[in-house]
Amino acid sequence: MKPVAAQNDEAVVITHEDVDRAHDRVRVSEARAQHGFSSRARLLWLLAGPGVLVMLGENDGPSMLSYAATGAKFGIGFFIPFVALTFCMAIVVQEMTVRLGAATHRGHAELIFDRFGPFWGWFSMIDLGIGNFLTLITEFIAIRAGLGFFGVRPWVAILSALVILYSALMSHRYWTWERITLAAAAFNLVFIPVALMTHPSWRSVGHAFITWQPLPGFNKDTLLIVLADIGATVTPWMLFFQQSATVDKGMTTKDIRFGRIDTVLGAALATAAAIATILATAPLFAHQMTADNFEAAQFAQALQPLIGRFGASLFALGMVEAGIVAAITISASSAYAFGEVTHKPHSLNLPMGEGKSFYAVLTLCAVAAAAIVLIPGLPLVYVVLVVNVVAVLAMPPALVFLFMLVNDKEIMGARVNPLWANILSAGVVFILTAAGILFGISIIAPDLFAALGGN
Amino acid sequence: MMKKEDPHLPASDQTWVLSSLEHDQLVGAKKHHIPRRRLKSSELLVLWALRLYLLFMMAVVAYQVWTAAH
Repeated sequence: MKPVAAQNDEAVVITHEDVDRAHDRVRVSEARAQHGFSSRARLLWLLAGPGVLVMLGENDGPSMLSYAATGAKFGIGFFIPFVALTFCMAIVVQEMTVRLGAATHRGHAELIFDRFGPFWGWFSMIDLGIGNFLTLITEFIAIRAGLGFFGVRPWVAILSALVILYSALMSHRYWTWERITLAAAAFNLVFIPVALMTHPSWRSVGHAFITWQPLPGFNKDTLLIVLADIGATVTPWMLFFQQSATVDKGMTTKDIRFGRIDTVLGAALATAAAIATILATAPLFAHQMTADNFEAAQFAQALQPLIGRFGASLFALGMVEAGIVAAITISASSAYAFGEVTHKPHSLNLPMGEGKSFYAVLTLCAVAAAAIVLIPGLPLVYVVLVVNVVAVLAMPPALVFLFMLVNDKEIMGARVNPLWANILSAGVVFILTAAGILFGISIIAPDLFAALGGN
Repeated sequence: MMKKEDPHLPASDQTWVLSSLEHDQLVGAKKHHIPRRRLKSSELLVLWALRLYLLFMMAVVAYQVWTAAH
């Protein structure tokens, strides 16, 4: 069954948003009508965006900090293939949002409210709202710390980030916003040259990929890093953002294949940047330097004797970029969800006058999170740690909503999850829940944790 | 810049927009809600179990924050 709207043939009023989206669709149709490699490449260029953005957006401030801490604490070993595995989990999950968005043309929050009712809808929105706001705070922490490496004052750093975020919105055009944010997100790959400057042992990297060794000890610290690294790749805002962006971009069921390529491409780039960050800080492990309380700028300072001022500056700039791109995408995710559940206009194609509430939510979320970071004495590192853990814990309920929607024949028709996707997504829910429960046991029942082999 | 619900949009342009977008993609078409589905008891059980899991784990995180602060 198609949505009610699709069954009605009544006349609808054409809006500015429709016209903008139609322009984008015409370009896609023209590219699709042609044959050959260049036209396929052009089609990918036109349809790529939400997947790359969500994956590189999730390589955000706290994520890069987690990867940096992983490298410094454990060096090259188990966590290299583990991070690649977490991105494979992200592909499984995010591909479903592409199908949902393309098949229903509705955002994730809207579908949850419509199909499950406001009771479950508000639970889901509260999870998203709290998670997004806390994560936004950590993005500004990363920006502040990264620019702090260059001696920039905190308020100047935060204000600059807000100006960049606002500038990306000024086009009032989804396509332009997406391209500007993609260009900024490409800078996430700066961690690759930084890793190369540390001259990593490729033999050790290959050995780690093949054997998943050396294994870290099974203790609270390892568990925390495991949780933080999972939280660095699969979080609730990603589900809401990619589905809403897929809808705003105007993607249809014909575009699902390219949506998948976009998602895999994004995951591959994000994996490369994440592993590069681990490799970049691995020398700190080799030099037995403690990284328990390192912030982004301190990682750069610690690396400076090993890779020079230029390399350390690149590392700090990478942290700033990670924070800025995530601040842009996460605030957009909040604004999309707000518009979807309140049925107010919600699109990056809207002129400011027509999308007042959409742009107001987007801006207010960012400004409020930015203001909190300027509070003197706030334990910034601890906030980052808690946010990563909260993101992992909030994921299983969000995934079950996704799982139920993507198996809903009434809205998905023939595009419901195949069996293999259900098995994989059930596996992801199991891993996340098990990691969360183990973490809980390690905190409230350390004796039981020790009995399970932990120390 | 074109206004929302532009009455001056030529008929040919309206046709062009309508032919470029699927009906469900139009902003006007999205004003219709998708009908609510009835949740099975097994689904409700899973949703409540995960809700309680989340509340419990948040309490664990709050406890960890409290112990770290002291």
